[in-house]
Amino acid sequence: MWWRNTINELVKIATKIRSYIGIGALTLLIFIVLFAMKADGKSYIGFVTASFEQTLSFNGKILNGNLIAFIIMQMLIVHVPLLISLVTGDLLSGEEAAGTVRMLATKPITRTSIVLSKWFSATIYTLIMTVWLGFLSLFVAKWMFGSGDLIVLNSNGLLIIPEADLAWRFGLALIIAFLALWTVATLSLAFSAFAKNSVGPIVSTMAVIILFTIIGTLDVSVFDSIKPYMFTTHMAAWRSVFEDPYPSYEILESIIILSAHIIILLGITILRFNKKDITS
Amino acid sequence: MRLIIFLFLFITTVSYSQTATSLLKGVIDKIDLVNDYKADVQIKAAIPFIKVPIAKAKIYFKKKDKFKVESDGIAILPKQGLSDLTGFLSKESNYSAVLGEVKTINEHKTRLISVLPTDENSEIILAKVYISPTDELIYRTVLTTKSSGTVSIDYEYNLNKKYALPNKMTFTVDIRKFKMPKSVASNIRNNDKEKKYKENEKGTIVLIFSNYIVNKGISDDVFKKD
Repeated sequence: MWWRNTINELVKIATKIRSYIGIGALTLLIFIVLFAMKADGKSYIGFVTASFEQTLSFNGKILNGNLIAFIIMQMLIVHVPLLISLVTGDLLSGEEAAGTVRMLATKPITRTSIVLSKWFSATIYTLIMTVWLGFLSLFVAKWMFGSGDLIVLNSNGLLIIPEADLAWRFGLALIIAFLALWTVATLSLAFSAFAKNSVGPIVSTMAVIILFTIIGTLDVSVFDSIKPYMFTTHMAAWRSVFEDPYPSYEILESIIILSAHIIILLGITILRFNKKDITS
Repeated sequence: MRLIIFLFLFITTVSYSQTATSLLKGVIDKIDLVNDYKADVQIKAAIPFIKVPIAKAKIYFKKKDKFKVESDGIAILPKQGLSDLTGFLSKESNYSAVLGEVKTINEHKTRLISVLPTDENSEIILAKVYISPTDELIYRTVLTTKSSGTVSIDYEYNLNKKYALPNKMTFTVDIRKFKMPKSVASNIRNNDKEKKYKENEKGTIVLIFSNYIVNKGISDDVFKKD
């Protein structure tokens, strides 16, 4: 019954227009970035290497598909959560707003199973978005720009990663990015369990992300103790995969904290939905 | 007496100047034997703020100043000191040379020749060239340039001594303070592991050449930009 309910939830997501807004916006944004890089990518490279250009010359194909994929991931990973929460923030509150939540509760399935069905559907949607992001940024970018070594700029300077060492890094980066987006999807689902319409959970999710991101970037010691536990701190953990040496402990820590957020938020959602008065 | 001292100083200066020029000429004569060459090069770079794997590339040179580096991956090379120095030294009217101290570099007894450009707009401000009088080869160059600061180059030779083509070049370059564009460089963890810039940091780039093919002809198409 749980599986049939989950299929039903997936069909509901597939039939809603808003589900395609995210995928459409993602596709459009990526093609805009690809077009911009094709037109004026060299100036971006100059921006990255400018500090060294007086003394050193960079030879080889710097502007390649791998760099474009990295740039796209860096740009979009901030905005994709909004596109995800457009769908996942509506999953429970949408039923309440449409008045279908009571009918849903009459099914021979526990409320916990209803939440788990919706959460699993949200997971599938998030996975599709991440795979689509990966496909467009990696395969289309490589098709347009060719392949090559990746030049990464971080606060320690420039790191050049050989092409042969990139496939697993991009794979792992996408898995961690998925985990971060999954956390956002679960957060908006949790807000959705508290709300009676879809706008509230979507706006609340974005407000939390913005608030936590600002706290994370504030260089004030009073927040130092909470920063490591905020999920926004670990949303960019995928970027650490492109460091050398590869910081496995920090990445594992991010995976654990994001996973803990998912479990706790899912627990809150189940608890809230089980206690929710849907009769009035 | 004054006349004798003056003549002595004049003759000494002229003779030293001739020696500097003749030493340089010995090197230039070897360089001039090369019309074109291509070679494989392995590039090992140890530069502050840049972490780069060993790169392999092909270099192409054709007289007078056509030079190209072709690499599959990203290869970092010094901006100055590869083909521009030999081009600069080849034109005697470009500079005046003064003979300096004797110095032993990698067990080779060399003479320092300070080369000063005659053109006020020359990119090279001063070139200190250490030439071995016995085999007429450059073993060290210290280049001071307008835009790249000071670049020191050590040379080692193996099979192509007759063309003055080294099999190993070690560049030591000044690395200016690395300005981090904050928008692209924000780390997710504000830890204290970030490197701090120290004044006068130096980087080294070692080029190991192999498979030289000299004077076999290279098409001009090779040097066309992609």
